[in-house]
Amino acid sequence: MPLLTDLTAAVAAGKRTDTVRLTQELLAAGTGPQAIVEQGLVPGMAIVGDQFKRNEIFVPEMLVAARAMKEALKLLEPMLASAGIKPKYTAIIGTVQGDLHDIGKNLISMMWRGANFAVIDLGTNVPPEKYLAAAQEHKAHLVGLSALLTTTMPAMKETVRALKAAGLPNTRIMIGGAPITQAFATDIGADGYAADAGTAVDVAKQLVASLA
Amino acid sequence: MSTTSMTGCERVNRMFARQDQDRIPRQDTFWPETITRWQREGLQWDHHDALRLLEADFAGLCWSWPPVFPGQRELLREDAETETVRDAWGGIVRTWKGRSGTPEHVGFGCDSRAIWEKTYRPAMLAAPNQVDVQMAAVRYADARKLGQWTHLSGVEGFEALRKILGDETCLMAMVDDPEWIRDVVAVHTEVVLRSWQSVLDQGVKPDGLWIYGDMAFNHATMCSPAMYRELVWPFHKQMADWAHERGMKVIYHTDGRVSGVLDLYIQAGFDCLQPIEAKAGMDIRQFAPTHGDRLAMIGNIDVMKMATNDLGLIEEEIRTKFAAGMATRGYAYHSDHSVPPQVSWDTYKAIIGMVERYGYY
Repeated sequence: MPLLTDLTAAVAAGKRTDTVRLTQELLAAGTGPQAIVEQGLVPGMAIVGDQFKRNEIFVPEMLVAARAMKEALKLLEPMLASAGIKPKYTAIIGTVQGDLHDIGKNLISMMWRGANFAVIDLGTNVPPEKYLAAAQEHKAHLVGLSALLTTTMPAMKETVRALKAAGLPNTRIMIGGAPITQAFATDIGADGYAADAGTAVDVAKQLVASLA
Repeated sequence: MSTTSMTGCERVNRMFARQDQDRIPRQDTFWPETITRWQREGLQWDHHDALRLLEADFAGLCWSWPPVFPGQRELLREDAETETVRDAWGGIVRTWKGRSGTPEHVGFGCDSRAIWEKTYRPAMLAAPNQVDVQMAAVRYADARKLGQWTHLSGVEGFEALRKILGDETCLMAMVDDPEWIRDVVAVHTEVVLRSWQSVLDQGVKPDGLWIYGDMAFNHATMCSPAMYRELVWPFHKQMADWAHERGMKVIYHTDGRVSGVLDLYIQAGFDCLQPIEAKAGMDIRQFAPTHGDRLAMIGNIDVMKMATNDLGLIEEEIRTKFAAGMATRGYAYHSDHSVPPQVSWDTYKAIIGMVERYGYY
């Protein structure tokens, strides 16, 4: 019988064929889908995140690992849905108004899904009211704002202001992007800041852990 | 405005040779919205006038970014602010109407090796040269009269991968199918070199190449140094060798944190790195002492600091970074990206004054 640690290793190595096969074998052996996600797949992506932070792997390796997990999830999601099992935390992500840059947001989105967040991607050029509406509709635990351009940083500030003004006690806001710094995050009242895709998972987990 | 004893061309050549110059060479780039703001604030004409005031030393002769399907531009949809088009590289991109910014990559036509080999590869190799060789010759003549250092410009293979295949496909293919990646970079390199040669065939004798790529972000290079060495570096070397065989120097442009590949750039034959992005953690005060003897550096003056319009902050930035760069004799002024529209015209004129004050040997 395969071990969950075998699955973790396959995900971390980006071996999608092995990941799918091991997932099928674990299911056949009676391992529940939730355990496969939480004890097999997610730990694999956690390894990927740590390796990325240390520059032991780079974006290509991160992408193929995320792809491997995604293929396993295709098998598991129908079972999870029918059992009413869903990720504990929901995150909204988007690129702020005035900015069409999507690459950074897409990487973060992948890593959050790898950490078993449900992620709603609002796309690019997202106005503050759309973030707010989505956060309220989905009861989001986390809202992630991305910006590439210095000229769109004011839009990030306005979005944070709008979300804070709406009074969402169970929603945390984190920001990131090329021109963004911790100092800017503090200045505009964001709850968290992440410099890269690896730390974006750590910060996300810390922020949701602080929720009631 | 200033008293100098050298032409721009002499100055830049001496920079590459690490010989004494009268002052550091100068160049800059600006967002279109920056020029629009400056025109409201007193800039007389356009970016050329800003460069004339700066006494810029470099002159680009042409731009080579070979499209796969020349002339293709199909408008797919639009709204009040944006338009989505299928472009000449077969990609679907969404861009702003009437303002600059990074496009959104909606989709890419070439997402498999099969499509590359069947359609894109032959199309790229058969596409007619897009470089305006007559205009290059005119610009060359003008630049020579002004004593400027002339260069051919264009895009290298890593950028071509991102443009044709898209980031996700090309980065995953670096793991899944590295030979495909090598082939795309090889074909693009061949076509670009052919286009640059067409300029030389007009009798133009540029001083260098200014090669554009973007292979990193704030964290690091997008792929590992080993993967870069295997898949892209051979073609960077091919471009550099081509230039050196023709007596030209090579400037390589990339944003992002490239500290992990500086030695590889030197081994490829790049003579100079630009713009050395400060917000990505690149700092000439760190790298000039370690690499400045072998890699000239252009840039690193932080546009985020410029955007504060705090002249004291900006002056400290210029003073300390110029000192580090000038210690190698291999440094030129440039902002570390493009000057953004938050920078006022008064601030930029003050920056030119600081470049003048601190940039003399």
